[in-house]
Amino acid sequence: MSDTLEHRSAEPAELSADQLLDAYRRMRTIRAFEDRVHEEFATGDIPGFVHLYAGEEASAVGICMHLDDGDTIASTHRGHGHCIAKGVDPKPMMAEIFGRRTGTCHGKGGSMHIADLSKGMLGANGIVGAGAPLACGRALAAKLAGNGEVCVVFFGDGASNQGTTLEALNLASVWQLPVIFVAENNGYAETTASSWSVAADNIADRADGFGMPGVIVDGFDFFAVWEVAREAVTRARRGDGPTLMEVKLTRYYGHFEGDQQTYRGDEVERARRDFDCLKWFRTRVTTNGMLDAAALDTIDAEAAALIDDAVAEARSAPLPGREDLETDVYATY
Amino acid sequence: MARKISYRQAINEALVQEMERDENVIVLGEDNAGGEGAPGERDAWGGVLGVTKGLYERFPGRVLDTPISESAFVGAAIGAATAGKRPVVELMFIDFMGVCFDQIYNQAAKFRYMFGGNAITPVVIRTMYGAGLRAAAQHSQALYSVFTHIPGLKVVLPATPYDAKGLLIQAIRDNDPVIFCEHKALYDTVGDVPVESYAIPFGEASIVRSGGDVSIVALGRMVAVASEAATELAGAGVDAEVIDLRTTSPMDTDTVLESVEKTGRLVVVDEAPPRCNIATDVAALVASQGFEHLQAPVQMVTAPHTPVPFSAALEDLYIPDPSRVVAAVKLAMEKGS
Amino acid sequence: MGSSAVGIVANPLAGRDVRRLVAQASVFPNSEKAKMIQRLLAALGAVGVTDAFVSTDVGGISAAVLRSLGPDPAAGRPEWPTVHFVELERYSSTAADTAELVGAMMGAGVGAIVCLGGDGTARAVAASCGDTPLLALSTGTNNVFPEVREATVAGLAAGLVAQGAVDATTVLERDARLEVIAHSRVETALVDVCLTRAASRGARALWDVGGLTELACVFARPDAIGLSSIPGLLCPVPRGAGHGVVLRLVPPRSAPAVVRAPIAPGLVVEVGVASWEHLHRGRPHMMGTGGGVVALDGEREIELDASERVQVRFCTDGPVRIDPSATLAEAAQRRLLCTLPAGAYGPGLPPSNDTP
Repeated sequence: MSDTLEHRSAEPAELSADQLLDAYRRMRTIRAFEDRVHEEFATGDIPGFVHLYAGEEASAVGICMHLDDGDTIASTHRGHGHCIAKGVDPKPMMAEIFGRRTGTCHGKGGSMHIADLSKGMLGANGIVGAGAPLACGRALAAKLAGNGEVCVVFFGDGASNQGTTLEALNLASVWQLPVIFVAENNGYAETTASSWSVAADNIADRADGFGMPGVIVDGFDFFAVWEVAREAVTRARRGDGPTLMEVKLTRYYGHFEGDQQTYRGDEVERARRDFDCLKWFRTRVTTNGMLDAAALDTIDAEAAALIDDAVAEARSAPLPGREDLETDVYATY
Repeated sequence: MARKISYRQAINEALVQEMERDENVIVLGEDNAGGEGAPGERDAWGGVLGVTKGLYERFPGRVLDTPISESAFVGAAIGAATAGKRPVVELMFIDFMGVCFDQIYNQAAKFRYMFGGNAITPVVIRTMYGAGLRAAAQHSQALYSVFTHIPGLKVVLPATPYDAKGLLIQAIRDNDPVIFCEHKALYDTVGDVPVESYAIPFGEASIVRSGGDVSIVALGRMVAVASEAATELAGAGVDAEVIDLRTTSPMDTDTVLESVEKTGRLVVVDEAPPRCNIATDVAALVASQGFEHLQAPVQMVTAPHTPVPFSAALEDLYIPDPSRVVAAVKLAMEKGS
Repeated sequence: MGSSAVGIVANPLAGRDVRRLVAQASVFPNSEKAKMIQRLLAALGAVGVTDAFVSTDVGGISAAVLRSLGPDPAAGRPEWPTVHFVELERYSSTAADTAELVGAMMGAGVGAIVCLGGDGTARAVAASCGDTPLLALSTGTNNVFPEVREATVAGLAAGLVAQGAVDATTVLERDARLEVIAHSRVETALVDVCLTRAASRGARALWDVGGLTELACVFARPDAIGLSSIPGLLCPVPRGAGHGVVLRLVPPRSAPAVVRAPIAPGLVVEVGVASWEHLHRGRPHMMGTGGGVVALDGEREIELDASERVQVRFCTDGPVRIDPSATLAEAAQRRLLCTLPAGAYGPGLPPSNDTP
């Protein structure tokens, strides 16, 4: 193998067994978390709007496996998966979704604003397309510091049509920032099909207009995402600038909880049956002997127990009170 | 040691001193150096009105020109602030807030609260406001009250070179997002400014002139208008107190209420149109918390409820001037007890 | 006389894989594929083809062709064949779509198929089109089987072949192929099959030769791009040679032979070759020990389990390929695209060497 190729892959070329277990644990935890939030929402005890990430796990985890705590991600309204993939503790997350004082944001943010800066998670975001400019700022700080950190901004097919996203793509390229733009194209902006609303054939095609590489990747396949992300992250760390990855996938639930999804076909049924990222992962790693099924079964059980505990703790946690209403607006005022 | 320098130079000096003090301070905005990628001179402009001139040479790599993409670069400044930088980003005209407002009011302003107190966003957004340069409807507005409305933002309006320097230094050191509003007609005004670095705390109004008959509360460029009116009124035997709010968020309500307690009469001068502006805010404050001291209805001197006109003949009518302040004070003196 | 119908298959997903990130592979927009189809239609119409069966997709190609038919698509355009859009009940965005589309075109009796895409697209079409003549046009630069050629010229050739206006024995060539038999499936490769130690199919496209252990090629041209350039530069095998070639690959530092090969656009890398031999019909080659992934025509497709091996067979029953150069040479000789005054060739026209 040539020097160029060896140099290119600063990230490991293959995943170790420990990394595979870690990846599976993150994906399984996201699925268990989201499936459970879906059930809990139906009880009426979760306030507000909740947008679930189930089905898209391979994207968040395949990408975040390449990131350290110093690296950052900016997320979307569908942010639970990004949080867990980046290492945010699911228990305070669950408490936050229930609006408890013990939540990640002490009950002041909710599902759409979970953030943990200590983990490099810059926040889910209720504004479609708001993350990309912020990611440019994190990446600018990293570039000025020369510390090799990168910032990943996740956004959807809807946000790919927002001016903020397009401006940020341009700025990232002009400044050659270490940003990875990840367009998670799940086919719908709320009810509107991306095949209609995105005037380009693919979101990745827009990369050409901003002078960066654009790649399409199968979002059901953890290994495909992981491999493309490895190259994009390596490129960013090396100082070669931003990349636009379009990850094609499907969300298993509605736009938000309560969405009757009358606009959809049967793609969820087919995806769950034929392409599900967890099933695909399990089949691959067990047939080639990388992991044995028992280890994965253990993770399944542990993830389920973790989420059981998270819900129980959240439900019994105190609500914030009047004394919390006016705090945390300013650092000083 | 103080010497006379302009409002523009005072801002520039504050930036220089803070950039020297703290390497996390960076400056970015459209043409803040000027000439990026062009064949000619770098630092060609130093900002559209030359406020940031000279920083580019002095602080290599820390003064960044940007594409005309306010959402992207204001957002980037906000993102960088969450990463430990102290960006001073220039929104060239306050009127351009419309193309980047989400990043300011939904992102920067809310991070701290939404994230349960676990974030600080020390960004300064320097922006130019106000009428008087015949810049017409989209480059002349006084939109600071829009920002004042948003919890999480601080809003600063220096009226003098001294305040410009001290308030900007405070803004840069502050851990909250600050909208720093510079009146474009004040850049060439000159005043005493100390050479050394100093910070003026937010939420402390300045009593520009003491008086016992009427309180005139003003802000930004209107402070000079109010002061001129007070001088004229003194000749007519009216002893006016002039208060410069300096910051509208936080606002120094105590100084205003104490003044009205003393004078019993209030005139508020605001360059913004009349609805939901700082004048109505101050009037509401005094009506609700100092009503018993009022001897006459509050008078408000504001721009009319119109866009800013272009023609000099119309714009001069649009901007509150000393004669309108004098007339309002006389009305306040005639009415009531 | 042949059919007066031609099928056109375009792959909307070709041209956006990871090679845009790891190398400087070209980007071929779907809008250009739609324009290529319009140029094909113009050419097919010019040689008298009456019906064109065009694939539909969810990537915007067929939609653009539909728009080009004007406000009344059903009325069509007079200079074009009647355009029939072949629709699927559902689209999976996989090679299965291509197979189904080609099957429908065969059912409609097309006399030739033109496909737009890369090696992967051509492979999917070839697997389904039987003996129907195939003309594969490259949409990109990373291809060996499809050729880079102006669609208008390709359309003339395909139209002439479909109608039987030219001699099949001169203008058509039966290609060889590699048959790959894994325990659960049988696949075809038109250019190359390789085994890599990669753990998974990953991002499909293969660009890192570090893990390659074995490579088999149908043919190997010295001017190829991709894996077949490795034997192409070391031990070339022309198309139609009647045999293929198999190489065992090792790291360059321990290799008796090292080839600097253009394995992807923008990537010329050193590849170590331990040995090579011809791959003959009827003598299958066994590939694989200890897992890995088999790539077909540069795309990682078959994930092996630890004990699995695959059989690679050289077969001479590959697709029937249209040679556009030969087709138009014959068209010229027969003056198929010329109108001449009766009984004379006219002033300035050279005499014909043969009798039309």
